Amino acid sequence: MKIRTVEYFVREAVVSLRRNGLMSFASVSTVALSLLILGIFLILVLNLNNMASMLESQVQITVYLNDGLSDLEMRETGTRISKMQGVSQVMFISKDEAMERFKDRLGDQQSLLTALGDTNPLPNAFEVKVDRPERVKSTAQAISQLHGVENAKFGQEVIEQLFTLTKMVRIFGLILIVFLALAALFIISNTIRLTVFARRKEIGIMKYVGATDWFIRWPFLIEGMILGFGGALIAVVILGQTYSAITQQIYASMAFLPLIPENPFIHNISLMLVLVGTAIGALGSTISLKRFMKV
Amino acid sequence: MIHMTGVSKVYSNGSVALSDIHVDIEKGDFVFVVGPSGAGKSTFIKLIFREELPTHGQLVVNGRNVTNMPPSEVPYLRRGLGIVFQDYRLLPEKTVYENVAFAMRVIEAPRREIQKRVNSVLDLVGLRDKCRSFPNQLSGGEQQRIAIARAIVNSPVVVIADEPTGNLDPETSWEIMKIFERINKAGTTIVMATHDKTIVDTMRKRVIAIERGRIVRDQMKGVYGYED
Ligand SMILES: Nc1ncnc2c1ncn2[C@@H]1O[C@H](COP(=O)(O)OP(=O)(O)OP(=O)(O)O)[C@@H](O)[C@H]1O
Ligand SMILES: [Mg+2]
Repeated sequence: MKIRTVEYFVREAVVSLRRNGLMSFASVSTVALSLLILGIFLILVLNLNNMASMLESQVQITVYLNDGLSDLEMRETGTRISKMQGVSQVMFISKDEAMERFKDRLGDQQSLLTALGDTNPLPNAFEVKVDRPERVKSTAQAISQLHGVENAKFGQEVIEQLFTLTKMVRIFGLILIVFLALAALFIISNTIRLTVFARRKEIGIMKYVGATDWFIRWPFLIEGMILGFGGALIAVVILGQTYSAITQQIYASMAFLPLIPENPFIHNISLMLVLVGTAIGALGSTISLKRFMKV
Repeated sequence: MIHMTGVSKVYSNGSVALSDIHVDIEKGDFVFVVGPSGAGKSTFIKLIFREELPTHGQLVVNGRNVTNMPPSEVPYLRRGLGIVFQDYRLLPEKTVYENVAFAMRVIEAPRREIQKRVNSVLDLVGLRDKCRSFPNQLSGGEQQRIAIARAIVNSPVVVIADEPTGNLDPETSWEIMKIFERINKAGTTIVMATHDKTIVDTMRKRVIAIERGRIVRDQMKGVYGYED
């Protein structure tokens, strides 16, 4: 394609955009709103996922052993656990160490322990870490089947709740996004339809003198893509500014919340939104061209 | 140049516009297509530039088989044709010059060639001095001359025209016909559907008469043959 032709396409597209000023404005706003909400949900879901997996990776399985096992039996159980698939670390905590830790945790309330006298009711235990969060549950179940194991526990509920929350946000977000994407598609294809209608004579003549379908299509495609791109740009700027403000706020006040750092996270999301916006624009044009001009 | 063999056209609503048409039009021919209203003249013209597809038969235009031509080839068929309508079909927001140049721009002709050709066809139709005017500042005859300039600017081998003088008074119609004659003298084939008895009877070109979708007469140096 010649440079001059590309110039022609862009000029035609811009002329149309101006001619349909109001519709163009409405299209850009709708796309901006849709992509803004898409972006918000993406950021939310990704952050929740990030939090869940960070918590999970910190989660360990505590394996309590039966009383009265010999050293050999305990060592054997430890070996079995460390040979399990996905187990990355196994640490033995003897009853004595457990008692020490317990004492540490009680702090100045040591008096509570006097009732126990010299007896130590705490069991021997292993602390087990796994390489992948999804493995926690199944590994814990497998370990509890082993000989000499009383039970194996992990912080199941918190994680599962977090996952349920993520899933809900994801489903709700998906529905909303599909709905908004359709709205954006609809309004863009309507804007382009107005353009096509305004230029139907011109298109007819182009066909009679032998312009190819692609030559006829391009200005409309570019117009749609500009609408989508413009909307995306607005959404991206708003999202970027907001996220940056929020992360700064949270790092200052609630440093423990593991927010995904701004870079390159927001850049990637921005890139994606711009691509999606432009694609929606192109698709909207195509729909109008197919339906109203048969080109 | 244009070869129809057993061509029929039945529209989707069932109306039979043409049936079993056999015609050969050669390079340099000047052909009038005449006949009563609803006979199928416009359909005949539309088949040539593949606005409509034949229902049966073979149609070859300019060496291209139109009958089974894929849609992507239609633009290239049309680049060899110049099409003129009764209602001019100029773009009101473009100047005379731009209207003619438009036909070259959309087939991506080189810029320098565009200027040369547009000026030369505007000379040919005698309207170079109006090149900055807009269509609504011109008379009907002048608008049709611009439309003809646009039709021939890409040097087509065939010019097809559907009642190009239908909206014009007799005197203006003659100006248009003189231009067609000049184009034809330069070697371009002309196929023109018309209701204009005086023109056909005076010019004595080949006449194809269609009635109820059939060719009833194909006559060299023919006459109109109907009372108005
Ligand atoms: N798009 C169409 N769909 C259905 N029928 C059509 C269509 N176009 C034309 N016809 C029918 O085909 C027949 C021939 O029409 P056509 O327009 O070719 O006639 P014509 O000779 O050009 O008439 P006129 O002199 O009035 O322009 C007519 O009966 C008409 O009603
Ligand atoms: Mg007609």
